[in-house]
Amino acid sequence: MHPRATGARNHTQCDSLLIGKECGAHTVPYIECRNPSAQIEHEATTSKIADDQLFYCLSRGIGQEEAVALIVNGFCREVLQQLPMEFAVEAQKLVGISLEGSVG
Amino acid sequence: MNMLEIENLHVVVQGQEILKGLSLVIRTGEVHAIMGPNGSGKSTLSYTLAGREGYEITEGRILYQGKNLAPLTPEERATRGMFLAFQYPVEIPGVTTMNFLKTALNAQRRARGEKELDAMSVLKSVREAASALNVPEEMLRRALNVGFSGGEKKRLEILQMTLFKPLLAILDETDSGLDIDALKLVAGGVNALRAPDRAMLVITHYQRLLDYIVPDRVHVLDKGRIVAEGGKELAHELEAKGYAGLARDAA
Ligand SMILES: Nc1ncnc2c1ncn2[C@@H]1O[C@H](COP(=O)(O)OP(=O)(O)OP(=O)(O)O)[C@@H](O)[C@H]1O
Ligand SMILES: [Mg+2]
Repeated sequence: MHPRATGARNHTQCDSLLIGKECGAHTVPYIECRNPSAQIEHEATTSKIADDQLFYCLSRGIGQEEAVALIVNGFCREVLQQLPMEFAVEAQKLVGISLEGSVG
Repeated sequence: MNMLEIENLHVVVQGQEILKGLSLVIRTGEVHAIMGPNGSGKSTLSYTLAGREGYEITEGRILYQGKNLAPLTPEERATRGMFLAFQYPVEIPGVTTMNFLKTALNAQRRARGEKELDAMSVLKSVREAASALNVPEEMLRRALNVGFSGGEKKRLEILQMTLFKPLLAILDETDSGLDIDALKLVAGGVNALRAPDRAMLVITHYQRLLDYIVPDRVHVLDKGRIVAEGGKELAHELEAKGYAGLARDAA
């Protein structure tokens, strides 16, 4: 927060989605604030791909990898939707790439 | 030819034996109903057939179209024509119903070596199925099952069945939570799919559904075993006597 940003508000939200059995999420919010009148919020949630979501997709003929990608993209969609088009496209690709081979 | 042959099936879930020697044969072209008290193992059977992880077959076997089902993954079973309408359909946030249907339909087609359908053709088939089941288009744009009413979720299961045209459809209490009009629509959808090359397993608590979907055979499941079998009149007998009454008569 800038020293002259009187009455400014900030909201940081950090939603993590765990994929696979051997992972965890450590959220370390870091917010610098130089104006005492500012309001700052931080919120963090952690969820994991539920077995029943995955099984539902599989039972419809969707393969393991595509199912995880579908669920993760759904999870990210609300955030990605708010980005300008060029970022949204790129972010979508990044999600796709980082998921490749992450499930087996 | 038999669509499904279950022989002396024992299934263990989390260390507990739930199915204890269940046997059942469904010939191609037939519709069978399974009834049974809460906790008797009906959903366990449906999950085992669909190949859910954690449902371990410890004894016996399942033949689907004459072949051992056990080695097939859930997605292979779906691709080969098996469909389970879930008792509790699952919500997937952020994934629109339409996108889900398209993804599933094309995944199945790809696995069968068929050409994928473009967005327009999918839209057309989905719309057709939706209008027959009175599913509003607005629902197709919402995230899958998120915030859907109980009846809407069930109708969406049948919509998927209509779309995928399975060879073996397993309906796990699809009638629970449906109003009478929706029940008729759902039964209509099921009957429309009845064909000599298909078969169905309908799990229900209510004889009422079986007035609309008339089964060839009715099985009663209790404590992981089939305890009674008969024609459609068995469902009426059950409705009149209850499970306890039926057990008394059998004894
Ligand atoms: N994951 C699990 N861990 C332990 N026990 C389980 C598990 N899943 C099911 N069971 C038990 O297996 C039994 C059969 O459950 P199932 O869901 O197959 O019954 P059902 O016949 O479908 O009942 P309902 O009519 O209520 O749907 C129940 O006693 C249930 O508690
Ligand atoms: Mg059940």
